Amino acid sequence: MNPRTRHGLEFVLDNLVWFMLLFVLVVFSIFIPNYFQLGIFANIIEASSVLGVMSIGLALVIIAGHMDLSVESVAALSAMAVGILFCSSGIGLGVQLHPEWLMVPVSLLLALAVGGLIGAFNGYLVVRVKMSAFIITLASYIWVRGLVLVISGGRSAQDLAPAIRWFGIQRLAGLPLTAWIAIACFVVFSLIMAKTPFGRHLVMIGGNETATFRAGIRVNRNLIIAFVLAGAIAGLAGWLLAIRTSGATANLGVGLLFNAFAAVVIGGVSLKGGVGTLPGVYAGVLLLSAINTAINLMGLPANFTQVIHGLLVLAAVLLDAFKQTIRQRLA
Amino acid sequence: MSEPLLVLDNVTKNYGAIEALKGISFSIGRGEVVALLGDNGAGKSTLVKIISGGLEPTSGRMLFEGKEFLARSPAEAKAAGIETVYQDLSLCTNVDVVANFFMGREITRKVLGIPVLDERAMEAVVEKALASAGTRIPSLRTNVEHLSGGQRQAIELNRFVHWGGKLVLLDEPFAALGVEQTRRGLDMIRQVASQGIGVVIITHIMQQAFQVADRIVVIRQGVVAGDVARNKTSPDAVINMITGETLAGAGPAG
Repeated sequence: MNPRTRHGLEFVLDNLVWFMLLFVLVVFSIFIPNYFQLGIFANIIEASSVLGVMSIGLALVIIAGHMDLSVESVAALSAMAVGILFCSSGIGLGVQLHPEWLMVPVSLLLALAVGGLIGAFNGYLVVRVKMSAFIITLASYIWVRGLVLVISGGRSAQDLAPAIRWFGIQRLAGLPLTAWIAIACFVVFSLIMAKTPFGRHLVMIGGNETATFRAGIRVNRNLIIAFVLAGAIAGLAGWLLAIRTSGATANLGVGLLFNAFAAVVIGGVSLKGGVGTLPGVYAGVLLLSAINTAINLMGLPANFTQVIHGLLVLAAVLLDAFKQTIRQRLA
Repeated sequence: MSEPLLVLDNVTKNYGAIEALKGISFSIGRGEVVALLGDNGAGKSTLVKIISGGLEPTSGRMLFEGKEFLARSPAEAKAAGIETVYQDLSLCTNVDVVANFFMGREITRKVLGIPVLDERAMEAVVEKALASAGTRIPSLRTNVEHLSGGQRQAIELNRFVHWGGKLVLLDEPFAALGVEQTRRGLDMIRQVASQGIGVVIITHIMQQAFQVADRIVVIRQGVVAGDVARNKTSPDAVINMITGETLAGAGPAG
């Protein structure tokens, strides 16, 4: 095989999920009436912002060789905290700050802090007490959701303060600001992972934790930071979720975890750790969103989405194994 | 010899009721190559891990450059100037050669106050280091998982030569190397020692020990069974020390 075809093939393998996304969009545009519109594409991006942000945090921890099942519940708790404080009806307290814009940084910081704290708790138990991340974050997944039920009493908060809601309404180049926030997160965290020592160390820890420890990298510190980041990013996802639904319900975001997992795996992140990039994860998120939109447009019952997502995850894992074999032949 | 670089004074290590090291005492001078020999399970790797910060000793003390020394983590040992090449390779196969070479010591430049990896500078350094050691690796940007065992070991060896420090510990560094690469590896060790760096090399191959070492230390069942200058002993005598048939020629050197 000459180097050029080899290079080309490697490029395709590295960016396979983007090609899949392109393929799916072309197929849908040809076969589904009304799919090929700017409005539809904008909608695909818009609908994927909450899931996208949540997937970033999950991907960071998985790339570092661990797991965070709590992101969905953390997002719900952050959304509920923002909802209770800044909603004016339901269980909302309707807290008013002057000037009004002050509510934006305050609610955002609150959401990030709630998420970051739970992330720090998870990280501490996993790294210092050396318990399995799967079990610790599974426990958090359950108790944090329980906490949402407790503080809301099972009821909901509606009518989020307009100053915060503005981010979901104001549009820039056809997309609401919330979608731009998600895109900005992907850009920033992609750069962190690819260009900074911290990102490089996370990838190497995911690949061979012993080696990085021996090389003098502060493995524990880096891992705790990864968990805190995953929590804080999930908090941001909750903030976006509260804006999107203009409030919070006790079962807000149920099922997002599995979609985030699907997006991360489809995006080429290996559950074994050390492999995967954030742009790939974003493509995975967009792919899921594109398929959801297609299901809606075709008028299929929404219940089909779950079946299709499950099959997609399966396909992604099979594809990953297939990619491995091809790479071994290339090497 | 002036003040030794590292002195071990009655270092012990217990795993529960098992005494892996029963009291090890010897010293390493600057620019000296010490071959650490011993049968499987004699405690060589445990000893290396204690010096390099991977394990803490149960009792005993160490002096490094005349000062009390105890590394609680590999990072502390590294900061003190102790480099280690482990038996099971310490490479991250999921990243490329350059990333492995610089693991934990990346060259960065500040962009808006944020440290950003300077890939070009790092690649240039690796290219130079590998070229001067005569190691050929097709592309520095290929992930290590695609490289052969010999190429991987070569990366590790070049890494310690490049970073140097004050003391280098090598735990069976040539297990995966071919004849020519081993010869080059031994040359590298002499070259490193000539810069005044102390070297401890663990090996099973008597010939290698006699080729490269100034002094031979034999460990048997957790104690020092022999500590002799190379030119005052023979392979047969050393083998006897390892297996414990006689203690001929044992005793501290010089």
